Amino acid sequence: MPPIEILSLLISAILLAGLYATMSYGLALIYGVMKIVNLSHAGFMMLGAYTAFVLISPVYGIELNPFIPPLIVVPLFFVIGMVLQRFVVRRVVGQPMITSLLLLFGLWLIIQNIAYVVFTADTRTLTIPWLLQPIRFDELRISTNRTVVFAMGALTLLLLQLFMSRTMLGKAIRATATDPDAAALVGVNTARVQMIAFGLGIALAGLAGALMSLVYSFDPDWGRSHLLKSFSIVVLGGLESFIGVALGAIVLALVETFSVPLGVPIALQDLMSFALLVIVLVVMPGGIMGLLQRRT
Amino acid sequence: MNKTSLFTRTIYISIVVMLLAACATPAPTVAPAAPTSAPAATSAPAATSAPAATAVPVPQGPKEIVIGAALPLTGGQAREGAFYKKSYEMIVKEWNDAGGITVKEFNRKIPVKLIIYDDKSETTTSVTLYEKLATEDKVDFFLGGYSTALVQAHVVVPQKYQIPYVGGGGATGTIYTQGNKWIFGLLANIEKLSITFADWIEIQQDAGTLPKPVKLAMAAENTSHGVEFAKGINDRAKAKPDRFTIVMDEKFEINGKDYAPLIAKLKAANADVFFADARVADYTLMQRQYTEAGLSHKVVSYGPRGPEKAARDALGAASDYIVAANWWSPDMTDASSKEFTAKYKAANKDESPEWFAALGYESARVLFKGIEAAGTLDKTKVRDAVAATSLSPSLVVGGKVSFAATGQINNVYIMTQNQPGNKVAIIFPNELATGKAIVPIPKK
Repeated sequence: MPPIEILSLLISAILLAGLYATMSYGLALIYGVMKIVNLSHAGFMMLGAYTAFVLISPVYGIELNPFIPPLIVVPLFFVIGMVLQRFVVRRVVGQPMITSLLLLFGLWLIIQNIAYVVFTADTRTLTIPWLLQPIRFDELRISTNRTVVFAMGALTLLLLQLFMSRTMLGKAIRATATDPDAAALVGVNTARVQMIAFGLGIALAGLAGALMSLVYSFDPDWGRSHLLKSFSIVVLGGLESFIGVALGAIVLALVETFSVPLGVPIALQDLMSFALLVIVLVVMPGGIMGLLQRRT
Repeated sequence: MNKTSLFTRTIYISIVVMLLAACATPAPTVAPAAPTSAPAATSAPAATSAPAATAVPVPQGPKEIVIGAALPLTGGQAREGAFYKKSYEMIVKEWNDAGGITVKEFNRKIPVKLIIYDDKSETTTSVTLYEKLATEDKVDFFLGGYSTALVQAHVVVPQKYQIPYVGGGGATGTIYTQGNKWIFGLLANIEKLSITFADWIEIQQDAGTLPKPVKLAMAAENTSHGVEFAKGINDRAKAKPDRFTIVMDEKFEINGKDYAPLIAKLKAANADVFFADARVADYTLMQRQYTEAGLSHKVVSYGPRGPEKAARDALGAASDYIVAANWWSPDMTDASSKEFTAKYKAANKDESPEWFAALGYESARVLFKGIEAAGTLDKTKVRDAVAATSLSPSLVVGGKVSFAATGQINNVYIMTQNQPGNKVAIIFPNELATGKAIVPIPKK
């Protein structure tokens, strides 16, 4: 394979990794703090995509610049997430995991069915002319919209890391994630922290959906296969680490991207992520971060 | 019982109820197309044409001829389904305004009552609805649905209940080769589409605009439609290896949300021509991702997709130069096509019809003419009359509708190319051409 093609594939993989990481942060955060698997993550990604669609598409006449919807989606979904946690999810914290799984799965179904009623089952595609044009470097062609999504994903990771490490609230979230009882003993309002963390997780899901609406087509059922990939990434990277999520996303993106020229049929692409999930669960249940931490 | 436990149990019960509701098969939701069945004064003048000598009473006949169809009015094929619905409604109104369909047996015109249900683009729903039309609505005849997968599934119903079915929405040849004598289709089969495309490629090669052999990358739906599509090209490549080299032959799932892996494989294939078989939504996404990846080929085609307004609006200049092979175009200049286009625009707020609308209209016209030719509403006789159809002039390419023994039409395709400035040119066959093909696609 010529070097230019390898470089092209590598860039594609990195851009894809940024997208995958963005869609997985919310899941990792909620699990890390509350030890619940947020099955409604897919539903909020889908809602984020539709919110962006309403704000950008000429169909509704608003036609905002595609950089604006994420700025609207994040605070809006943060508030929705906090309200949900306060009045619904909080009641199942501490219950057997099956309770929260069923609750959030049911929430996902509700969101999906509301979307069917409001938006119908029609597939939507956002096409922004200037985002269609690739970035050209000599013979290299780089997708503009994936670059935009990657940049926003990388920025999100940076902000998340700064928030978690440099702010009192971030430290409180980490403390609650590590040991909620000990955090409560030192004065952390763990109920409030969990509410904020859930809100942040939902905001990140909405952000992911808003960004991914520029790359994928979607309908009310969209998000299902991305949710499964997010699981794989979070497990691969290590369940409670953002850096782990980013590393897991890179590994999955590289495997998927380079499998194509190696002749793996396109129909088996999704199999990659699920095969990796199984392998990681069997061989290194702590994920990549667990492996790195053990070595250090 | 403490409060938390009660709450938890409530949650469990609520979730189970929601799961059951979500898993339930959705009921058909669209009411019959009532506006179309404007019955004329139909108290039949029973005896007026009875022969004087023996005074045999002419049977009164039914109040109306009930014709039903299930169409994708929501879901992935909603856009296409809407064209069929509008055409069916338009032709029914047209005939009902003139009194209805003449049925010699009853010596009068009988108006049509049209019933259309929404199958939500779902195969099982489509079958269920055609069954409902047969058993509950007791339709006399069926009009066709869309698309291949749904038509392939629901044509068992006309056979089961022996009700003639005429449609313009399923092209795959295997629909008509299962021995079903009750179905008739106005779309030539998909293998013929591939053959037409291959013939056109050879013309370009002879003109020096494409190399010999041409490297062809092919991507087809993972359906019988796609299998037939691929067969046509593969057979040609085997027969003429000096003309065609297949460098990629991939299948993809329909209604996909991401075709990046396919685009990556296409990029690696280093082809001259990219030829895909895709539905409108899939074509739109695929071409978008193709453009984002900065790919270019000498010719790009998505089979029968290309000039659709929704796709051109969504893709803009990214849809320029795409070549399509099709069963009809609003740019056709024959009298029947022009008349249909004008009527459709007048009835639908100046919306330009696409081939779905034209073939829907003509299917209904074939059925109505078949009923008139049979002179009765007897289903077997109508079926036989439709089978013997030789309808000309007609808006189908070639100007005439007649069916092969399988019940499928075998007319030629036209080929179109999207051209800059939102124009569409018919580029093949020469006798129907309205413009010249631009080959190879200019590099940006």
